[in-house]
Amino acid sequence: MVTELFDLRPVLAPLVSALCALGIVLLGHHDRWRITLSLAAAIVKFGLVWSMLPATLSGTVFVFTAGEILPGLPFAFRVDALGMFFALVSSTLWVLTTIYAIAYMRGSHALRRFFGFFALCISTTVAIAFAENLLTLFIFYELLTLCTYPLVIHSGTLKARRAGRRYLAYTLSGGAALLAGMALLYHLTGSLSLSQPGLLDPATPPRLLLTLFVLLIGGFAVKAAVMPLHAWLPSAMVAPTPVSALLHAVAVVKAGSFGLLRVIYNVFGVNLLASLGYTVVLAAIAALTIIVASIMALRQDVIKLRLAWSTISQLSYIVLAACLLTPLAALAAVIHIANQAFAKITLFFVAGAIEKRTGKTRVSELDGLGQVMPWTMAACTIACLSFMGVPLLAGFITKWYLSAGALAAGMPIYVAVMMLSTLLNAAYWLPIVYRAFFKPCPDPDLSRGEPELLLLGPILACAAYVVVLGIGAQAPAMPFALAESAVDFAFGLEVSRP
Amino acid sequence: MTAVSLPSLLPLWIIAVPLAGAALLAGVGRHRRLLGPVVLGTGGLCLGLVVVLVMTVRLGFQPELSLMELVPPLRFVLRADALGTLFALLIASLFPLATAYALRFMADDSRLQGFLALVLLCQALMLGVAFAASLITLLAFYELFSLISYVLIVHERSPRARAAGLKYILYIVSGGVFILTGIILVYFLAADVRFVPGGLLDSGTTHPAALVAWICFMVGFGIKAALMPLHGWVADAHPAAPTPFSALLSGIMVAAGSFGILRVVFETFGVELLGRLGVMPWLAAAAGLSALLAGALALGEDEFKRRLAYSTVSQMAYVVMAAAMLGELALVGGLVHLSHHAFIKAGLFFCAGLIVTVTGYKHVSQFDGLAQRMPATAILLTLLALAMVGVPPLSGFVSKWLLGAGLMEAGGILPLLVLLLGSLLAAAYLWPVIFRIWLPGPEPNDAASHSEQAPGLMLSMLAATAGITLLLGLAASLPGLPLELARMAAAAMIGGGG
Repeated sequence: MVTELFDLRPVLAPLVSALCALGIVLLGHHDRWRITLSLAAAIVKFGLVWSMLPATLSGTVFVFTAGEILPGLPFAFRVDALGMFFALVSSTLWVLTTIYAIAYMRGSHALRRFFGFFALCISTTVAIAFAENLLTLFIFYELLTLCTYPLVIHSGTLKARRAGRRYLAYTLSGGAALLAGMALLYHLTGSLSLSQPGLLDPATPPRLLLTLFVLLIGGFAVKAAVMPLHAWLPSAMVAPTPVSALLHAVAVVKAGSFGLLRVIYNVFGVNLLASLGYTVVLAAIAALTIIVASIMALRQDVIKLRLAWSTISQLSYIVLAACLLTPLAALAAVIHIANQAFAKITLFFVAGAIEKRTGKTRVSELDGLGQVMPWTMAACTIACLSFMGVPLLAGFITKWYLSAGALAAGMPIYVAVMMLSTLLNAAYWLPIVYRAFFKPCPDPDLSRGEPELLLLGPILACAAYVVVLGIGAQAPAMPFALAESAVDFAFGLEVSRP
Repeated sequence: MTAVSLPSLLPLWIIAVPLAGAALLAGVGRHRRLLGPVVLGTGGLCLGLVVVLVMTVRLGFQPELSLMELVPPLRFVLRADALGTLFALLIASLFPLATAYALRFMADDSRLQGFLALVLLCQALMLGVAFAASLITLLAFYELFSLISYVLIVHERSPRARAAGLKYILYIVSGGVFILTGIILVYFLAADVRFVPGGLLDSGTTHPAALVAWICFMVGFGIKAALMPLHGWVADAHPAAPTPFSALLSGIMVAAGSFGILRVVFETFGVELLGRLGVMPWLAAAAGLSALLAGALALGEDEFKRRLAYSTVSQMAYVVMAAAMLGELALVGGLVHLSHHAFIKAGLFFCAGLIVTVTGYKHVSQFDGLAQRMPATAILLTLLALAMVGVPPLSGFVSKWLLGAGLMEAGGILPLLVLLLGSLLAAAYLWPVIFRIWLPGPEPNDAASHSEQAPGLMLSMLAATAGITLLLGLAASLPGLPLELARMAAAAMIGGGG
C-alpha cells in the first residue's frame, strides 16, 4: 500500500548540489575549498538519497510541494521507485566522478566554472529523478542542457565550441518538442502528473495520441540518442573525460532514457500503448540503433569515440526493453540504467586514466598496457565482459530480462538482435583487452605504474560494483528491488513475480 | 534408487581449494621453489576432497548447496550428483597430473607462475561446471573457464598461438551466445532453468521454441565438444597451446562440451520429449559422421599434436553419439568412454611433450627410432596408443565394449559399425606412430637434441596416466571408479525423476 509522506529530503537532495555550486562560485578560487565543497556535497547528497531507500522500498512515497506554477501544475517532487532508482545511480556515481574529476582536472584552467557547473548538473539530474510532474521534470531537463554546455566546451577550442553548438541545437530542439507535447497533454488531460500508471483517456482521438507520442518520445529520444537523433553524442566527446563520463553514463543520456520511461509508463501507461501499437515502431528503431551503432563502434579507433557509439547502442537497450511492454522487459529497461552506467563509467575512467598516464587515446596504441597498468586494465576487462553479457556480471542481467521479455512479448526477433549485439560487443571490446594483455608494449620507456590513487580508486570501485550488480542483485539494499517495485507499479501488479 | 539431498559445503570447498591455490600462486610472487608445493598441495587436497565426495555419493547422498539467487528464478546452486561427481573426479585427478608435468616442461618459462595460477583457476571453474545444478550456473562457469582457456592457449604469444587463439575465441564466444539463447528459450518454456533428472520441460510441449532451443544448445555445446562441422578450433588450438594445457584441453575441456550436451539432453529436455521431437537421430548422424571424418583427417596429419587433436574430435563424437541413442546402457558406455579417454589422451599429449623436450621433434615422420633414445616413453606411448585403439585389457577396450553394447542395444547395427570403423581408423592413425618409434632409426642428430634424458617428473606423470589406463582396463568395476559412477548417473538421469 502506498502512503505519501511530506518530507524535505526530495528537495534537499537536489538543493545540496545547487548550494555547493553557489559555494564554489564564491570560494572556488582556493583549491582546498573547492575540493572540500564538491566532495562534501556529493557525500551529503549520497547520504540523503540512500536514507530514503528503506522507506521507498517499503512503499512510502516522499512528496514535497513548493507551490503552483500554473493552475493544476505544482512545482513538486515525489520520490517513487523509478525516480529513486535513477537518483540512487546518479548520486552514487556522483561521489566517484567527483573524486575522479578532482584528480583528473588538477591544473586545468577555469576550475571554478567547471566544478560549479559540475555540481549544478547533478543537482538538476536528481531533481529530474524526483520530479512529480512533467513540467517540473521539463524545467530541470532544460537546465541540465544549459549546465552541461559550459562543461562540453570547457577546453574552449574551436572544435569544442562547434561540438557545443551542435549539442545545444539538438537538445534544445528536443526540448521544444517536449514543450509542445506537454502543452498538448495539458490540453487533453488538464494534468501533467507522473504519479500514476497512465494519465491519458483511452478514448482520446488516436490522431492526437500519435502526435503526443511523437512529440514526447521525440523530445526525450534526443538525449537518449536514439537514431537518427544521436549525432550530438559522438561530437560531444571533445569534453574532458569526467564530463564525458557524466554525459554518457549518468546525467544527460540517462535523463533522456528516464524521460522515455516516464512517458511510456506514467503518461501513456502500458495498457494504452499496447492497444495503440506505436511502441512496435519505436522498438524497431531502437533495435536498428543497437545494431548500427555497434557497427559504427567497431570502426572507431579513438577510445572515447568507440565508447560514445557503444553508449548509443546501449541506450537503445533501454528504449527497446521499455517498448516491449512486458514486465520482464521493463525490469531490463530499469536495471539497465544502473548496469550500463557502472560499466560505461568504468570504461570512461579507464580511458581518461590511460590518457593521463601515457597520453594514448587510440585503441591501436593500447598494446601492452596490461603490463603497464594491470589493475586499471583488469577493471577495463570486467566492464568489457559485462557489456558482452558474461554471466555473473551486470550486463548479463539486462540481457537475460530483455530476451526473456522479448519472448514473453511474442517477439523472438529481438532475442536474435540481443545475440547479434552480444557478438558485436565482443568484436569491439575484446580487441581492447587483447591488445592490452596479449601484445608486447612497443614503448620500452613506459615504466610499470598505475595512475594515481584518486583516479584508480573510482575505477576499481565501479568495476567492483559491476560484479556486485551481477551476482548480488538480490542482496538486501540493492537497487534491484526498487526496479521490481517500479515495474509492479507500472504494470499494476500487486504481487511480485514468482 | 533416488539420491538423498544433503545440504553440504563440500562442493563449495572443492571449488574453493584450487581458487585459493591460484590466489596463493599469485601471492608467492617470484619464489619459484614454492610453485611446486603450492600447485601439488592444492591439487592433492582437492583430489582428496573429491574422493570424500565420491564416497558420499556412493552412499546415495547428493550434497547440495544453494549459494545465491542471481535474479529470480535464476538461482546459483551447486549440486554433486553422480554425473557431476564423475566429472569432478576426472577434473581433480587430471589437473594435478598436468600441472606437475608443467612444472618440469615449462621450467624455463618466466611466466610459469601465471600459467599455473590460471590453470588452477580453470580447474576451479570446471569443477563449478561439474557441480552446476542449473543451466545458468553451468553457463556462468562454462563461459568463464572458456575465456580463461584463451589466455592459456595463447600462452606462448607466437603468431601461431595468436591465430589459433583468435579462432578459438570466435568459436567460443559464438557458442556462448547460442547457449544463452537456448537457456532463455528454456526459461520461456518452463519458467525455470534447473536441471531435473528426467527432464525439466513438459514432455508434451509442442511449442516450436523447444526445437529452436535444442538446436541452440547443440550448436553451443557442440562447438566445445568439437562436433563436426563445429570443430574448426580444435586442430589449431591443441598444437598452439603449451603441451600440459593441450592435455587438459583434449582430456577434459572438450569433454565439458559433451558434459553440457548430456546435461541438456537428459535433464532439461528429457528422453520422452526428445523422442517425440525426433531430433536425436540427426544428432547421432552428425556425431557418427564426425567420428569417421575426424578419424580420416587424423590420418592425414603429420604433426603429432594435430593428429591427437583430431583423434579427440573423433573419440568425443562417440560420447555424443551414445547420448543421442537415449538408452541407459549407451549412456553408461558414453560416460565411461569419456572418462577413460581423458586419461589416455592426456597421456598421449604427455608423450608428445616428452618427445619435444628430449628431441625437439613434433612430426610423426621424424619419430623413426625414438625407442632407442627414450625407451620408457616409447613403451608407455605404445601402451596408451593401444588403449586408444581399444586393445584388451586396457581401459579403451572396456569403454568401447560398453559403448558397443549400448549402441547395439539402443540403435542397432549401424552405430556399432561406426564404432568399429572408428576404431580401425584409430588403429590406422596411431599405428604409424608405434611403428616408427620402434623402427631402427637414423643416427641421433646431436644438433637437434635438447636434452639427453627424459625428465623424471614428466615421465612419472606419463607413467601415472598409463597406470590409470591399465587399472581402468583391468579393474574398471572397482567401487568409486568411473564405471560405477557412470551407472549411477545413467540410472538417475534416465530411470529416475520421470
